[in-house]
Amino acid sequence: MTSLRHSRGNAATAYAYLSPTLVLLAVLMALPIGMVIWYSLQNNVITNANPQLVGLQHYIDILADSQFHAALRNTTVFVLASVGAHLVLGLAFATLLNTPLLPNRIKTVFRTIFVLPWLLTVAIVAILWRLILNPSGVFNYVLTTVGVLDAPKEWLGDPALALFAVTLMNIWYGYPFFMVSLLAGLQGISADLYEAASVDGAGPIRRFASITVPQLRPIIISMTLLDLIWTSHQFALIWMSTGGGPLDRTELLSTYTYKLAFSQYMFSTASASAVFFLLISALLAYAYVRHQKARD
Amino acid sequence: MNSAVRSRTTLRSRSVQTAVAAVAVGALAAGCSSAGGEVDGGDDDGQVTIEFMQWWEPELPDGALAGLIEQFEEENPDINVELLSGPFASIKDQVIAGSASGTMPDVLGLAGSWVHDFATQGSIANLTDVMTEYGYDDSQLGAQVRVDGSAYSIPVVNFAYPMFINNELMEEAGAEVPTTRSEFVQVAQQVTDATDASGFVAALGLEQPNGIQIDIMPWNWASGGTMLTDDGGPAADNEDVHETVAFIKELWDAGVMAPGGLTMAEQDKVEEFTNGRVAMMVSSLAHINLIRENSPELDFSVVPMPVVDGYTGESGVRYAEWGIGMSANTEHPEESWKLIEFIMSEDANGELSGFANGFPGNANVTPDLTDADPVFQDAFEIWQAGYPASEFTGLPLADELMRIFDQELQHVLAEDKPIDEAMSAVQQEWSGTF
Amino acid sequence: MATPTLPRQRDRVATAAPAVVRGLTTRQRRRIALVLTVTGLVLGATFAGAPILWMLLSALKSNSEIFAYPPSLLSDNPSIQPFIGILQDPRQLRFFLNSYVVALSVVALTLLVAVHAAYAFSRYEFPGKHLMNVVVISVQAVPPVTLLIPYFGLMVALGLYNSYAGLILTYIVFTLSYAIIMMTGYFNTLPRELDEAARVDGTSSFGALWRILIPISLPGMVSVGMYTFMIAWNEYLFALTLTRTDDMRTVPIGIQLLMGQHSYDWNQMMAMSVLGSLPVIVLFVFFQRFFIGGMTSGSVKH
Repeated sequence: MTSLRHSRGNAATAYAYLSPTLVLLAVLMALPIGMVIWYSLQNNVITNANPQLVGLQHYIDILADSQFHAALRNTTVFVLASVGAHLVLGLAFATLLNTPLLPNRIKTVFRTIFVLPWLLTVAIVAILWRLILNPSGVFNYVLTTVGVLDAPKEWLGDPALALFAVTLMNIWYGYPFFMVSLLAGLQGISADLYEAASVDGAGPIRRFASITVPQLRPIIISMTLLDLIWTSHQFALIWMSTGGGPLDRTELLSTYTYKLAFSQYMFSTASASAVFFLLISALLAYAYVRHQKARD
Repeated sequence: MNSAVRSRTTLRSRSVQTAVAAVAVGALAAGCSSAGGEVDGGDDDGQVTIEFMQWWEPELPDGALAGLIEQFEEENPDINVELLSGPFASIKDQVIAGSASGTMPDVLGLAGSWVHDFATQGSIANLTDVMTEYGYDDSQLGAQVRVDGSAYSIPVVNFAYPMFINNELMEEAGAEVPTTRSEFVQVAQQVTDATDASGFVAALGLEQPNGIQIDIMPWNWASGGTMLTDDGGPAADNEDVHETVAFIKELWDAGVMAPGGLTMAEQDKVEEFTNGRVAMMVSSLAHINLIRENSPELDFSVVPMPVVDGYTGESGVRYAEWGIGMSANTEHPEESWKLIEFIMSEDANGELSGFANGFPGNANVTPDLTDADPVFQDAFEIWQAGYPASEFTGLPLADELMRIFDQELQHVLAEDKPIDEAMSAVQQEWSGTF
Repeated sequence: MATPTLPRQRDRVATAAPAVVRGLTTRQRRRIALVLTVTGLVLGATFAGAPILWMLLSALKSNSEIFAYPPSLLSDNPSIQPFIGILQDPRQLRFFLNSYVVALSVVALTLLVAVHAAYAFSRYEFPGKHLMNVVVISVQAVPPVTLLIPYFGLMVALGLYNSYAGLILTYIVFTLSYAIIMMTGYFNTLPRELDEAARVDGTSSFGALWRILIPISLPGMVSVGMYTFMIAWNEYLFALTLTRTDDMRTVPIGIQLLMGQHSYDWNQMMAMSVLGSLPVIVLFVFFQRFFIGGMTSGSVKH
């Protein structure tokens, strides 16, 4: 059998199974990426019938653009804060949901509630939070009534608060993905491990640190890397809540690129920015691939 | 491995290959055929279908535009019109997308600030040529938006932008209608102090930077100011503009402007006013319908924009138009032009302007004020007393010019950037764009 | 998966002797743990659920009530009119139809394509396997906005602009990678002996996949399918740019279209949001056991 598996006929069969995937990826992934790189080397693509080649000029322009720097900075803050909070909340909620102290039916109810934010459309999340975070919205009302705030804040309109506000929205929206994966992981940990530790006299915190975390490590690393990638791609949430403003305080690489293309029709410059964005994502992908490989 | 096994394997793998490839090809083909049906105009029985994309329908009373189109289709039984309607912002995106991908609607609504870009991209038709070809007498048109001497858009309905005032809030604060900027500052302060509402609101969000021409520059134009040089070049750093920005900054620092303005869109602003959370705003007459519909009890009126203290000249009244144009690549130019001609005809144009609370684009139509909203009648007087002003219309990359201005204004408001510095930055960037 | 381990865990808690809170009886310790757990769960549920509750309550209010300050929890005059308005509007219903057609097609096609690719990755050795694996994994890292610019031209050239097929193909590209990874993981958990035994009995490799592996992989496929459905149902950016007419637009765009140039119909937007979220929520409630099980096999390896 082993020799059969390595035979040429089998390789052909494997390729046949892969062929739809390869066709789709070639036409809808490789080709567009090639196109966007080609666009980025020319001037006035799309809007002009006869674009000229300008080499790396657009890349130089982008690197010198202070808006791009702001977008890079904001994306870093937004992504790191979101992913960190997703991890902490996801782990906390998953641990709570994995408790043996409550009957399954109650846990199912809580699990469903905890997952809800993730099941909403981004468009809905953005609109809902705009309503909630409105200067005269319910968030301000609750905080001022409880006494946390003296006066209502402009969460999305104040340059000092906007990035925090959109990050909060994204934390709320994204933690369930972590939670679900970690919960799955927790349920896969053998109870014998805990029993053995308990017999050795380990308390809950020790057990968490010496069994739960190491057992979940592979999931935590994959999820963190995936979440870093996906969070850095976030567009609709920002676009429909702040549009990148006020000033450039919530401008991310995605909104920056989109604006260049569809607000300013600078498709070539936008393509250059898109290629930068792709390169940054590729670095994360590299880390992810290496991690996956190490696991296999 | 013996040959029997090998042949079996290859046979098997070939059938697998075929099956799997068929799935992929089938999916692609299914896509193509269904799309093919979609793109085609559908001329099976000599009928022509043209698309008319605009943001007007959602802003008109229900059924108003559809009724007019029905009338057009009755008069032209061989033409079907498909109305593609959506909010202003998304229509613009759609039109850009269409112009980039060669799938423009045949006939489309145009805002003044888009015309230059679409015309130079060659995506909208030169209407001067079209009118010559079909022998149209353009003397009945009140205006035409021109680029390099040729018309590319025809204003269908014009909307003035006066000052809207919430009478109840004014009364509660014991304030009088302001006529000068300093009175305005004082009244806005009174309202903010005496009520739960704010004095003024400006929507300066950057997604749609048109707050610059709606909420900011009308102050400049009302006092006879301009932002252009005599020959149409940029003059964003002139004294008038500087004073206008300083005035807005004064309002901002006094805390009389509604919170959240830096990320507000136009609809947020109108919402604030409609719900009694702000006493004064600059806005389009097109919003009268909407305010009445959403808040029937709101007691409001429209007044002229306050002017610089001591200014006695004529006031520029900011206006915007619903322009109409057609795709440069339409397959049905004749039918498309027929639709435009119909919409500009005295009857249809008069009806449409009446529904919209705007001023007709056909010069021969006098607005019928007898049944009109009383607020609209006041607005008509304001309109007639001043001169129309809309300096962004027809400028290259007009939206980009506003975005530049908006960004600098946000720096001035939120970060106390010196106005001189901000305005020279605007001027410098504008000069690059012109 | 949780059920069989539960009784044992309970025993464990009852018999264990943690060192942290000495001096307390087992019963007291358990009570403290229970109180802490329930407090944590309730706090978490408030964080997760309160905004959604607010959405639901807002959908029942009038537009002016939504803007009232101080806000009221419940409308004085709760009305389901916004819901009725949407359910009676053929234009809005069309958005739902479109979303279903697109999302279900994406689920079906993604599974079909991914299952075959996963089969190749899980059961075959072939030259270039490692490279292809890397490619499939890396595809997840391509920012959607990067593809957006060329997609215009591409979709128009393929004649797929403003069509179901255009959206479906686009979404498959985004869902495929994760689906292949998850399905490969799932297949890897199934013993090779299963399909190899069938092969020895003369079943073709194709037959072994369809008759042996796919039937026992249904939980994994449900999980991948749900995930795929969510991506397709919720996608916004491409739906916005690759469709043009109302008869092709999906629910997320429909919600955005309710934000007119001059006004928001907040109650309608909230009602549409509630209606637009229901299918995914219902799916989750029904399939969550499979879903979480599927995530285990996809991501956990021991």
